[in-house]
Amino acid sequence: MIDVAEIEQSIEGLLKSPLYGQSPDERRATLLPLLQKELAYACERSPRFRNYVEHWPVDYRRAESIADLPFLPASAFKANPPLAFVEPQAIVRTLASSSTSGQAPSRIALDRATARRMTRSLSAIIRDFAGAERRPYLVVDTPDNLAPHSELGARGAAVQGLTSFATEIVSCLVQDEHGELQLDVESLLAHAEKWQHREVLVYGFTYVLWNHFVLPMRRTGQTLKLPNALVLHSGGWKRLEHQSVTKDVFNRGVASVLGCSPTRVIDYYGMVENVGVVYPDCEFGNKHVPAFADVIVRDPLTLSPVSAGEKGLLQICSVLPTSFPGFLVLTDDIAEVVALDGCPCGRRGISFRFAGRVAKVEMRGCGNLETTRDGRSKSVYA
Amino acid sequence: MAVQRASMLDLLSTVDTPQAIAEVAPLLRSRALEEPLPPRRVLDIFELWSAALGAGEMRDIPGVTFLRLWLRRSSLEPLLLGELGPEFLDAHWQQRGQAKLRCFPRGVVGHWPAANIEIQPVLSLTCALLGGNSSIVRVPSAAVAATRMIIEKLQEVDPGGEILQRVALAFFDHDSIEMHEAMARVVDGGMIWGGEEAVTTVRRLPFPASARLVVFGPRLSVAAMDSASWSDAKERRAWCQRIARDVWQFDQQACSSPQALFLERHAEHDPAEFVTDLKHAFEEENRAHPRRQIEPALTSAICRARASWLVGDETNRAWFPQSPDWTILLGQGSEIPKPTQGRTLTVLLTNDLAEVIAKFDGTVQTLGVAFKDRSREESIAQIAGFHGVDRVVRIGQMHTFGSPWDGSDLVRPMVRIVRYLPSQSGE
Repeated sequence: MIDVAEIEQSIEGLLKSPLYGQSPDERRATLLPLLQKELAYACERSPRFRNYVEHWPVDYRRAESIADLPFLPASAFKANPPLAFVEPQAIVRTLASSSTSGQAPSRIALDRATARRMTRSLSAIIRDFAGAERRPYLVVDTPDNLAPHSELGARGAAVQGLTSFATEIVSCLVQDEHGELQLDVESLLAHAEKWQHREVLVYGFTYVLWNHFVLPMRRTGQTLKLPNALVLHSGGWKRLEHQSVTKDVFNRGVASVLGCSPTRVIDYYGMVENVGVVYPDCEFGNKHVPAFADVIVRDPLTLSPVSAGEKGLLQICSVLPTSFPGFLVLTDDIAEVVALDGCPCGRRGISFRFAGRVAKVEMRGCGNLETTRDGRSKSVYA
Repeated sequence: MAVQRASMLDLLSTVDTPQAIAEVAPLLRSRALEEPLPPRRVLDIFELWSAALGAGEMRDIPGVTFLRLWLRRSSLEPLLLGELGPEFLDAHWQQRGQAKLRCFPRGVVGHWPAANIEIQPVLSLTCALLGGNSSIVRVPSAAVAATRMIIEKLQEVDPGGEILQRVALAFFDHDSIEMHEAMARVVDGGMIWGGEEAVTTVRRLPFPASARLVVFGPRLSVAAMDSASWSDAKERRAWCQRIARDVWQFDQQACSSPQALFLERHAEHDPAEFVTDLKHAFEEENRAHPRRQIEPALTSAICRARASWLVGDETNRAWFPQSPDWTILLGQGSEIPKPTQGRTLTVLLTNDLAEVIAKFDGTVQTLGVAFKDRSREESIAQIAGFHGVDRVVRIGQMHTFGSPWDGSDLVRPMVRIVRYLPSQSGE
């Protein structure tokens, strides 16, 4: 039997260690044995997960690198009920992905311990980029995403993940009678007036921030005077692609509405399957991995890790979850490895950049019928 | 000028306007109908073409080995004899009672091949040429490079342009409706291949009312083995090699590629014996024909298939390397699983192969078979025939392109059979 207390103790140690201070070798030496223990624990808890792990071509107990350990594709989290290693009564919250592509959302089950670690790790990462002090928190979303729910969407999880930095919280969007998001300009202006000489934390999903904050403010020609605002946003760029909104255009647009510098707008990458770990851009535009996590970028042809300067499928690794199999997850995202170590920002370990989503899978050739003739059949243009 | 494009002077230039297509069509038609090329001459040139395709630089074109075999006289002559009879080869009238019958070309045949099967534009073209027709071939972007190389080999063996003057290649985007329509308007026949959406879109084009269309639509293929075949250790290895070849050819993207293998349960033998040999065969095939590139989406799909198979049911088993090179999924059931492609074969144990095949609903094109008992196999073939399967072939020959294909002759639909009843009876 694997002693979960021992695992929790190791995670605790990592949560207390310097966030971005480990060399790649040190990180591997720390994480590999812990991930192996977590896999063993997970196999004890779930026969279905064990079946997958046991068929992996490398025995995880003898693996010499994290890259050899069995990873799950992100789609494995679309199961409902979600794949969990704890009894249903121990699940305190279920998180669901935003599912912008119209597919079924990923759902992950959090027990109390995992949820607590998620909050701590997220706070530590944000603290590293934004500082530790509490400040007014402007949520570019509806109040509903601040309310406690047993099942929480990605937007709600992201919004609530930052509340520990807040002295007061104001959400500036409301839903009208048609369900459309509207900017509560009056309240926004009043609070901005009150906060104009203070540090302010602003968060919104990337497309929400642009479509429901920047564009409406531009239309009315109004700007705020919040030079000390720090803007965090996440959720991806997919919904802004057709509007030709580049990162530079976005940063300048947001900054001009808030009256701050574009350098105070920080994009971070995160996904519910990698709960508690987010990857904000450093001042050099690179993403970094905290001590309790790792990323591997894999060559689609071989699934081997790529070298610096190369792109591939992004795999995220985290020791934080013990209630669901989020240790090693192959995403449908493409990333580029900037360097395996030595980013000029001083953060150690691999630095990478998000480079897009994997195109939707299409069956190819003339054999492109998916199943059968009844309602399940589907084929695509050859 | 379109005229030049139709000749071999500038054969491979892009026909990029509807006007060019409208100009080239009458010239192609006139060559087919007024300067007929004897079928035996076509076979002579094809034989030379086959030999030319043996050049080293052609080796990397997927399916070229198969194309070489297809173009051999020994493949095509029996096909023509079977579909059209000996008189066709000699361009004679065939006596049928008081009447005489003879095949004539339709004129200009338009070809809409499926994307991503590199040799399909040429395969489709050869079917029409064998019937004496000229052709306009729309070459999908993914097949442009391979088609150019293959046609250049035809140029080498056809310096007088006997065949080439009857061919126009059209390179245009798949969403260029204007070009599709221009092509459809000028043809006397059409050979349409591909997925449901592609086929449906092409069929809606404004073809002349008299145009004969033959459609090879979206299908998939599976294989079936009886317990006696796979439990025989001596034969098993050979069968596994044949399955691997069928999976590897066309990278499992062809309608004739096996996506699943139904394995009849054996009372004494563990199917793992079979899968172990199959794994070795896959490894060997992978060594001989390694993948050189892959779309990230396919890698994702392969990883998804492995995980969902094993996590979805703890009794399922699987064999795969760390790379996405190949995957064998073993479970049980009688339903055809959703294909993954990418050399992912689902092996399903079943108690009753007849019951499995009786569930097919017309989507299965080819059933690859390995049965020790011939009469039992014939009975399976009959069940398959009643349930929409168009080809029942030995495993290892699932891609052997032959007539009929998809339940239809390949050359015959593109000829007209003229019935002549002489006005004077007797000699």
